[in-house]
Amino acid sequence: MLKIKYFVQQSWLLVVSAFMFGLLIAVTNAALIDRINANNANKVTDKLKSLIPDADEFSKQESITIKSQQQSNVDVEIYKAVSDGQCQGWAFKAFGAGFADKITLIVVVDKSFEKIVGFSVLASNETPGFGDRISNSFYRDQFAGAPTEKLNLVKVGDADEIDSDIVAISGATVSSQAVVDIINNTMLQLKIKMLEKGMIQDE
Amino acid sequence: MSSNENKVSSTLLAGLWKENPVFRLLLGMCPVLAVTAACKPALTMGFCVIFVLVCSNIVVSLMRNLLKPHLRILMFTLTIATFVTIADLLLKAFQPEMSTALGPYVPLIIVNCIIIGRAEACASKNDLLISIVDAISMGTGFTITLCVLAAVRELLSTGKIFELTVLPTVEAGGWFVPWTAMMLPVGAFVTLGLGLAIVNVICKKKQA
Repeated sequence: MLKIKYFVQQSWLLVVSAFMFGLLIAVTNAALIDRINANNANKVTDKLKSLIPDADEFSKQESITIKSQQQSNVDVEIYKAVSDGQCQGWAFKAFGAGFADKITLIVVVDKSFEKIVGFSVLASNETPGFGDRISNSFYRDQFAGAPTEKLNLVKVGDADEIDSDIVAISGATVSSQAVVDIINNTMLQLKIKMLEKGMIQDE
Repeated sequence: MSSNENKVSSTLLAGLWKENPVFRLLLGMCPVLAVTAACKPALTMGFCVIFVLVCSNIVVSLMRNLLKPHLRILMFTLTIATFVTIADLLLKAFQPEMSTALGPYVPLIIVNCIIIGRAEACASKNDLLISIVDAISMGTGFTITLCVLAAVRELLSTGKIFELTVLPTVEAGGWFVPWTAMMLPVGAFVTLGLGLAIVNVICKKKQA
Protein backbone atom coordinates (compact mmCIF):
# COMPACT_ATOMS: atom_id res chain seq x y z
CA MET A 1 0.00 0.00 0.00
CA LEU A 2 2.83 2.33 0.93
CA LYS A 3 4.48 1.60 -2.38
CA ILE A 4 1.42 2.67 -4.37
CA LYS A 5 1.23 5.89 -2.40
CA TYR A 6 4.90 6.54 -3.17
CA PHE A 7 4.42 5.94 -6.89
CA VAL A 8 1.41 8.25 -7.04
CA GLN A 9 3.29 10.94 -5.15
CA GLN A 10 6.18 10.74 -7.56
CA SER A 11 4.31 10.49 -10.81
CA TRP A 12 0.97 12.30 -10.49
CA LEU A 13 2.33 15.39 -12.22
CA LEU A 14 3.60 13.34 -15.14
CA VAL A 15 0.29 11.49 -15.57
CA VAL A 16 -1.83 14.63 -15.27
CA SER A 17 0.29 16.65 -17.67
CA ALA A 18 0.47 13.79 -20.16
CA PHE A 19 -3.34 13.84 -20.29
CA MET A 20 -3.49 17.62 -20.51
CA PHE A 21 -0.87 17.79 -23.28
CA GLY A 22 -2.57 14.95 -25.15
CA LEU A 23 -5.83 16.86 -24.98
CA LEU A 24 -4.11 20.03 -26.20
CA ILE A 25 -2.66 18.23 -29.22
CA ALA A 26 -5.99 16.53 -29.96
CA VAL A 27 -7.83 19.87 -29.94
CA THR A 28 -5.23 21.52 -32.20
CA ASN A 29 -5.30 18.56 -34.53
CA ALA A 30 -9.09 18.57 -34.73
CA ALA A 31 -9.08 22.29 -35.46
CA LEU A 32 -6.46 22.12 -38.22
CA ILE A 33 -6.86 18.71 -39.87
CA ASP A 34 -9.35 19.92 -42.49
CA ARG A 35 -7.01 22.70 -43.55
CA ILE A 36 -4.01 20.36 -43.72
CA ASN A 37 -5.91 17.85 -45.86
CA ALA A 38 -7.12 20.64 -48.13
CA ASN A 39 -3.54 21.89 -48.50
CA ASN A 40 -2.33 18.44 -49.52
CA ALA A 41 -5.13 18.05 -52.06
CA ASN A 42 -4.50 21.54 -53.45
CA LYS A 43 -0.84 20.77 -53.94
CA VAL A 44 -1.67 17.99 -56.43
CA THR A 45 -4.39 20.02 -58.16
CA ASP A 46 -2.14 23.07 -58.50
CA LYS A 47 0.59 21.00 -60.14
CA LEU A 48 -1.97 19.39 -62.46
CA LYS A 49 -3.42 22.80 -63.36
CA SER A 50 0.01 24.06 -64.37
CA LEU A 51 0.57 20.99 -66.57
CA ILE A 52 -2.87 21.04 -68.29
CA PRO A 53 -4.16 24.60 -68.06
CA ASP A 54 -7.14 23.75 -70.33
CA ALA A 55 -8.74 21.24 -68.00
CA ASP A 56 -11.10 22.57 -65.36
CA GLU A 57 -11.69 19.38 -63.41
CA PHE A 58 -9.56 16.48 -62.30
CA SER A 59 -11.60 13.47 -61.29
CA LYS A 60 -9.86 10.77 -59.33
CA GLN A 61 -10.22 7.34 -60.93
CA GLU A 62 -9.95 3.90 -59.45
CA SER A 63 -6.34 3.08 -58.61
CA ILE A 64 -4.55 0.55 -60.79
CA THR A 65 -2.15 -1.96 -59.28
CA ILE A 66 1.22 -2.32 -60.99
CA LYS A 67 4.57 -3.84 -60.15
CA SER A 68 7.04 -1.43 -58.57
CA GLN A 69 10.72 -1.33 -59.50
CA GLN A 70 11.29 -3.79 -56.66
CA GLN A 71 8.59 -6.11 -58.12
CA SER A 72 6.09 -5.56 -55.32
CA ASN A 73 2.47 -4.57 -55.96
CA VAL A 74 1.72 -0.86 -55.65
CA ASP A 75 -1.42 1.15 -56.33
CA VAL A 76 -1.13 4.07 -58.72
CA GLU A 77 -3.44 7.06 -58.29
CA ILE A 78 -4.98 8.13 -61.59
CA TYR A 79 -6.72 11.39 -62.41
CA LYS A 80 -8.79 12.15 -65.50
CA ALA A 81 -8.53 15.73 -66.73
CA VAL A 82 -11.91 16.92 -67.98
CA SER A 83 -13.03 20.13 -69.63
CA ASP A 84 -16.63 20.62 -70.88
CA GLY A 85 -17.24 16.89 -70.45
CA GLN A 86 -14.37 16.07 -72.81
CA CYS A 87 -11.37 14.06 -71.66
CA GLN A 88 -8.26 16.22 -71.99
CA GLY A 89 -5.72 13.75 -70.70
CA TRP A 90 -4.68 11.50 -67.89
CA ALA A 91 -2.47 12.11 -64.90
CA PHE A 92 -0.89 9.60 -62.61
CA LYS A 93 1.40 9.59 -59.61
CA ALA A 94 4.65 7.72 -60.09
CA PHE A 95 7.29 7.06 -57.49
CA GLY A 96 10.54 5.22 -57.07
CA ALA A 97 14.06 5.45 -55.75
CA GLY A 98 16.04 8.61 -56.44
CA PHE A 99 19.64 9.45 -55.59
CA ALA A 100 19.03 10.31 -51.94
CA ASP A 101 15.40 9.48 -51.24
CA LYS A 102 12.10 8.49 -52.82
CA ILE A 103 11.02 10.69 -55.70
CA THR A 104 7.29 11.21 -56.26
CA LEU A 105 6.26 12.60 -59.63
CA ILE A 106 2.97 13.49 -61.18
CA VAL A 107 2.98 12.64 -64.88
CA VAL A 108 0.43 13.87 -67.42
CA VAL A 109 -0.24 12.14 -70.75
CA ASP A 110 -2.68 13.06 -73.51
CA LYS A 111 -6.15 11.54 -73.81
CA SER A 112 -5.12 8.66 -76.10
CA PHE A 113 -2.04 7.91 -73.97
CA GLU A 114 0.29 8.48 -76.91
CA LYS A 115 2.30 11.50 -75.89
CA ILE A 116 3.58 12.75 -72.57
CA VAL A 117 2.33 16.23 -71.75
CA GLY A 118 4.78 16.77 -68.93
CA PHE A 119 5.70 15.89 -65.38
CA SER A 120 6.12 17.69 -62.12
CA VAL A 121 8.03 16.74 -58.98
CA LEU A 122 5.70 16.33 -56.00
CA ALA A 123 8.31 15.25 -53.47
CA SER A 124 12.03 14.62 -53.68
CA ASN A 125 15.15 15.04 -51.62
CA GLU A 126 17.81 15.23 -54.33
CA THR A 127 21.10 17.08 -53.81
CA PRO A 128 20.53 20.86 -53.95
CA GLY A 129 22.18 22.42 -56.96
CA PHE A 130 22.63 19.08 -58.76
CA GLY A 131 19.89 16.45 -58.53
CA ASP A 132 17.16 18.94 -57.73
CA ARG A 133 17.56 20.35 -61.24
CA ILE A 134 15.19 17.58 -62.39
CA SER A 135 12.48 20.20 -61.88
CA ASN A 136 14.28 22.75 -64.09
CA SER A 137 13.04 23.45 -67.59
CA PHE A 138 16.15 22.11 -69.41
CA TYR A 139 15.36 18.61 -68.23
CA ARG A 140 11.59 18.77 -67.85
CA ASP A 141 10.84 20.29 -71.25
CA GLN A 142 12.32 17.25 -72.97
CA PHE A 143 9.37 15.19 -71.74
CA ALA A 144 6.68 17.48 -73.13
CA GLY A 145 5.60 15.79 -76.35
CA ALA A 146 7.76 12.69 -75.97
CA PRO A 147 6.08 9.44 -77.02
CA THR A 148 4.76 7.09 -74.35
CA GLU A 149 7.27 4.41 -75.25
CA LYS A 150 10.30 3.28 -73.35
CA LEU A 151 12.40 6.39 -72.71
CA ASN A 152 16.19 6.25 -72.79
CA LEU A 153 18.64 8.45 -70.98
CA VAL A 154 21.56 9.69 -73.08
CA LYS A 155 24.52 11.68 -71.83
CA VAL A 156 25.15 13.54 -75.07
CA GLY A 157 22.39 14.63 -77.40
CA ASP A 158 20.16 17.43 -78.53
CA ALA A 159 17.88 18.41 -75.65
CA ASP A 160 15.67 20.49 -77.96
CA GLU A 161 14.77 17.49 -80.10
CA ILE A 162 11.63 15.90 -78.67
CA ASP A 163 11.89 12.11 -78.88
CA SER A 164 12.28 9.15 -76.57
CA ASP A 165 15.91 10.10 -75.89
CA ILE A 166 16.22 12.22 -72.76
CA VAL A 167 19.48 14.11 -72.27
CA ALA A 168 20.83 13.78 -68.74
CA ILE A 169 21.63 16.75 -66.50
CA SER A 170 25.40 17.06 -66.22
CA GLY A 171 26.44 16.30 -62.66
CA ALA A 172 23.17 14.55 -61.91
CA THR A 173 23.10 11.41 -64.02
CA VAL A 174 21.69 9.26 -61.24
CA SER A 175 18.76 11.60 -60.59
CA SER A 176 18.11 11.95 -64.33
CA GLN A 177 18.16 8.19 -64.74
CA ALA A 178 15.88 7.75 -61.71
CA VAL A 179 13.18 9.99 -63.18
CA VAL A 180 13.34 8.18 -66.54
CA ASP A 181 13.14 4.79 -64.81
CA ILE A 182 10.22 5.84 -62.62
CA ILE A 183 8.27 7.19 -65.59
CA ASN A 184 9.08 4.16 -67.75
CA ASN A 185 8.09 1.64 -65.11
CA THR A 186 4.77 3.24 -64.23
CA MET A 187 3.78 4.54 -67.67
CA LEU A 188 4.39 1.37 -69.67
CA GLN A 189 2.48 -0.85 -67.24
CA LEU A 190 -0.37 1.64 -66.92
CA LYS A 191 -0.72 1.90 -70.69
CA ILE A 192 -1.30 -1.85 -70.98
CA LYS A 193 -3.66 -2.01 -67.99
CA MET A 194 -5.69 0.98 -69.13
CA LEU A 195 -6.03 -0.46 -72.65
CA GLU A 196 -7.25 -3.73 -71.12
CA LYS A 197 -9.79 -1.88 -69.00
CA GLY A 198 -11.00 0.10 -71.99
CA MET A 199 -10.23 3.44 -70.37
CA ILE A 200 -8.28 4.38 -73.49
CA GLN A 201 -8.64 3.13 -77.07
CA ASP A 202 -5.85 1.81 -79.27
CA GLU A 203 -5.94 3.63 -82.55
CA MET B 1 12.42 46.25 -7.40
CA SER B 2 15.27 47.84 -9.35
CA SER B 3 17.40 44.71 -9.04
CA ASN B 4 14.52 42.76 -10.59
CA GLU B 5 14.33 45.25 -13.46
CA ASN B 6 18.06 44.94 -13.92
CA LYS B 7 17.73 41.18 -14.10
CA VAL B 8 15.00 41.47 -16.74
CA SER B 9 17.02 43.79 -18.96
CA SER B 10 20.25 41.80 -18.58
CA THR B 11 18.34 38.57 -19.40
CA LEU B 12 16.81 40.29 -22.39
CA LEU B 13 20.20 41.26 -23.78
CA ALA B 14 22.06 38.05 -22.87
CA GLY B 15 20.60 35.96 -25.69
CA LEU B 16 21.46 38.49 -28.35
CA TRP B 17 25.21 38.66 -27.79
CA LYS B 18 26.77 37.63 -24.49
CA GLU B 19 25.05 34.25 -24.37
CA ASN B 20 24.04 33.98 -28.01
CA PRO B 21 22.86 30.36 -28.33
CA VAL B 22 24.66 29.72 -31.62
CA PHE B 23 27.89 31.70 -31.49
CA ARG B 24 28.61 31.72 -27.74
CA LEU B 25 26.90 28.60 -26.35
CA LEU B 26 27.16 26.48 -29.53
CA LEU B 27 23.70 25.01 -28.99
CA GLY B 28 21.17 23.88 -31.58
CA MET B 29 23.76 23.08 -34.23
CA CYS B 30 21.41 20.73 -36.09
CA PRO B 31 19.05 23.45 -37.41
CA VAL B 32 21.97 25.87 -37.78
CA LEU B 33 23.65 23.54 -40.24
CA ALA B 34 20.55 22.10 -41.87
CA VAL B 35 18.08 24.90 -42.56
CA THR B 36 20.35 27.85 -43.33
CA ALA B 37 20.55 27.25 -47.08
CA ALA B 38 18.01 30.02 -47.67
CA CYS B 39 16.57 32.86 -45.58
CA LYS B 40 12.89 31.97 -45.67
CA PRO B 41 13.14 28.50 -44.10
CA ALA B 42 15.67 29.88 -41.59
CA LEU B 43 13.26 32.60 -40.49
CA THR B 44 10.39 30.11 -40.28
CA MET B 45 12.54 27.79 -38.18
CA GLY B 46 13.46 30.74 -35.95
CA PHE B 47 9.81 31.61 -35.34
CA CYS B 48 8.98 27.97 -34.56
CA VAL B 49 11.80 27.87 -32.01
CA ILE B 50 10.64 31.15 -30.41
CA PHE B 51 7.09 29.77 -30.16
CA VAL B 52 8.18 26.48 -28.60
CA LEU B 53 10.70 28.16 -26.32
CA VAL B 54 8.21 30.69 -24.94
CA CYS B 55 5.45 28.09 -24.43
CA SER B 56 7.69 25.49 -22.81
CA ASN B 57 9.40 28.06 -20.57
CA ILE B 58 5.98 29.26 -19.37
CA VAL B 59 4.80 25.74 -18.55
CA VAL B 60 8.08 24.67 -16.93
CA SER B 61 8.25 27.87 -14.88
CA LEU B 62 4.67 27.36 -13.66
CA MET B 63 5.29 23.80 -12.52
CA ARG B 64 8.84 24.30 -11.24
CA ASN B 65 7.82 23.86 -7.60
CA LEU B 66 5.99 20.60 -8.31
CA LEU B 67 8.87 18.95 -10.21
CA LYS B 68 10.54 15.89 -8.75
CA PRO B 69 14.26 16.29 -9.45
CA HIS B 70 14.78 12.85 -10.99
CA LEU B 71 11.72 13.19 -13.25
CA ARG B 72 12.42 16.73 -14.45
CA ILE B 73 14.06 15.89 -17.78
CA LEU B 74 11.10 13.64 -18.60
CA MET B 75 8.70 16.49 -17.85
CA PHE B 76 10.75 18.95 -19.94
CA THR B 77 10.79 16.61 -22.91
CA LEU B 78 7.06 15.94 -22.62
CA THR B 79 6.31 19.68 -22.53
CA ILE B 80 8.61 20.49 -25.43
CA ALA B 81 7.32 17.60 -27.57
CA THR B 82 3.75 18.83 -27.10
CA PHE B 83 4.49 22.34 -28.31
CA VAL B 84 6.67 21.14 -31.18
CA THR B 85 3.82 18.94 -32.39
CA ILE B 86 1.48 21.94 -32.22
CA ALA B 87 4.01 24.11 -34.09
CA ASP B 88 4.33 21.39 -36.73
CA LEU B 89 0.55 21.21 -37.19
CA LEU B 90 0.27 25.01 -37.41
CA LEU B 91 3.01 25.10 -40.03
CA LYS B 92 1.35 22.35 -42.07
CA ALA B 93 -1.96 24.21 -41.96
CA PHE B 94 -0.82 27.77 -42.64
CA GLN B 95 2.60 27.47 -44.32
CA PRO B 96 2.47 24.17 -46.25
CA GLU B 97 5.34 25.24 -48.52
CA MET B 98 7.67 25.97 -45.62
CA SER B 99 6.56 22.77 -43.93
CA THR B 100 7.75 20.77 -46.94
CA ALA B 101 10.96 22.78 -47.16
CA LEU B 102 11.84 22.21 -43.51
CA GLY B 103 10.77 18.57 -43.63
CA PRO B 104 11.95 16.57 -40.61
CA TYR B 105 13.69 19.55 -38.99
CA VAL B 106 10.47 20.84 -37.42
CA PRO B 107 9.82 17.65 -35.38
CA LEU B 108 13.54 17.65 -34.58
CA ILE B 109 13.12 20.88 -32.58
CA ILE B 110 12.17 18.48 -29.76
CA VAL B 111 15.82 17.53 -29.38
CA ASN B 112 17.10 21.09 -29.88
CA CYS B 113 19.32 21.61 -26.84
CA ILE B 114 18.58 25.34 -26.65
CA ILE B 115 15.04 24.62 -25.52
CA ILE B 116 15.79 21.88 -23.01
CA GLY B 117 18.83 23.88 -21.90
CA ARG B 118 16.75 26.97 -21.15
CA ALA B 119 14.11 24.86 -19.37
CA GLU B 120 16.82 23.39 -17.16
CA ALA B 121 19.00 26.47 -16.66
CA CYS B 122 16.42 29.21 -16.46
CA ALA B 123 12.73 28.31 -16.40
CA SER B 124 12.97 25.65 -13.67
CA LYS B 125 14.68 28.13 -11.34
CA ASN B 126 13.07 31.49 -12.12
CA ASP B 127 9.65 33.08 -11.96
CA LEU B 128 7.30 33.47 -14.91
CA LEU B 129 8.41 36.94 -16.05
CA ILE B 130 12.13 36.13 -16.18
CA SER B 131 11.38 32.83 -17.97
CA ILE B 132 9.35 34.52 -20.68
CA VAL B 133 11.92 37.28 -21.17
CA ASP B 134 14.68 34.67 -21.33
CA ALA B 135 12.76 32.65 -23.92
CA ILE B 136 12.17 35.69 -26.11
CA SER B 137 15.78 36.80 -25.80
CA MET B 138 17.27 33.39 -26.58
CA GLY B 139 14.77 32.74 -29.37
CA THR B 140 15.44 36.10 -31.01
CA GLY B 141 19.20 35.63 -30.72
CA PHE B 142 18.87 32.23 -32.36
CA THR B 143 16.61 33.54 -35.13
CA ILE B 144 18.85 36.50 -35.96
CA THR B 145 21.96 34.30 -36.09
CA LEU B 146 20.18 31.77 -38.27
CA CYS B 147 19.07 34.52 -40.66
CA VAL B 148 22.56 36.04 -40.89
CA LEU B 149 24.11 32.67 -41.75
CA ALA B 150 21.29 31.92 -44.20
CA ALA B 151 21.67 35.31 -45.87
CA VAL B 152 25.38 34.71 -46.50
CA ARG B 153 24.73 31.22 -47.89
CA GLU B 154 21.75 32.22 -50.01
CA LEU B 155 23.60 35.24 -51.41
CA LEU B 156 26.65 33.23 -52.42
CA SER B 157 24.76 30.19 -53.72
CA THR B 158 22.01 31.93 -55.70
CA GLY B 159 22.80 35.66 -55.68
CA LYS B 160 19.56 36.31 -53.83
CA ILE B 161 18.49 37.28 -50.33
CA PHE B 162 14.92 36.42 -49.33
CA GLU B 163 14.42 35.41 -52.98
CA LEU B 164 15.17 38.98 -54.11
CA THR B 165 18.04 39.27 -56.58
CA VAL B 166 21.04 41.12 -55.15
CA LEU B 167 23.81 39.84 -57.40
CA PRO B 168 22.69 39.19 -61.00
CA THR B 169 23.79 35.66 -61.91
CA VAL B 170 25.43 34.65 -65.17
CA GLU B 171 22.36 32.59 -66.11
CA ALA B 172 20.20 35.72 -65.90
CA GLY B 173 22.71 37.76 -67.90
CA GLY B 174 24.67 39.22 -64.98
CA TRP B 175 28.25 38.65 -63.82
CA PHE B 176 27.93 36.55 -60.65
CA VAL B 177 28.79 32.87 -60.84
CA PRO B 178 26.79 31.10 -58.09
CA TRP B 179 28.76 28.98 -55.63
CA THR B 180 26.67 25.83 -55.57
CA ALA B 181 28.81 24.47 -52.73
CA MET B 182 27.36 27.08 -50.38
CA MET B 183 23.95 25.42 -50.78
CA LEU B 184 25.39 22.05 -49.76
CA PRO B 185 26.32 20.95 -46.21
CA VAL B 186 29.93 22.07 -46.79
CA GLY B 187 28.68 25.64 -47.15
CA ALA B 188 26.96 25.37 -43.77
CA PHE B 189 30.13 24.25 -42.01
CA VAL B 190 32.31 26.88 -43.69
CA THR B 191 29.88 29.74 -42.97
CA LEU B 192 29.39 28.67 -39.35
CA GLY B 193 33.14 28.26 -38.84
CA LEU B 194 33.93 31.69 -40.26
CA GLY B 195 31.09 33.23 -38.23
CA LEU B 196 32.45 31.67 -35.02
CA ALA B 197 35.95 32.91 -35.84
CA ILE B 198 34.74 36.48 -36.37
CA VAL B 199 32.74 36.45 -33.13
CA ASN B 200 35.73 35.04 -31.21
CA VAL B 201 38.06 37.70 -32.60
CA ILE B 202 35.62 40.46 -31.58
CA CYS B 203 35.28 38.99 -28.09
CA LYS B 204 39.07 38.70 -27.63
CA LYS B 205 39.51 42.31 -28.76
CA LYS B 206 36.86 43.43 -26.26
CA GLN B 207 38.58 41.60 -23.40
CA ALA B 208 42.00 43.00 -24.17
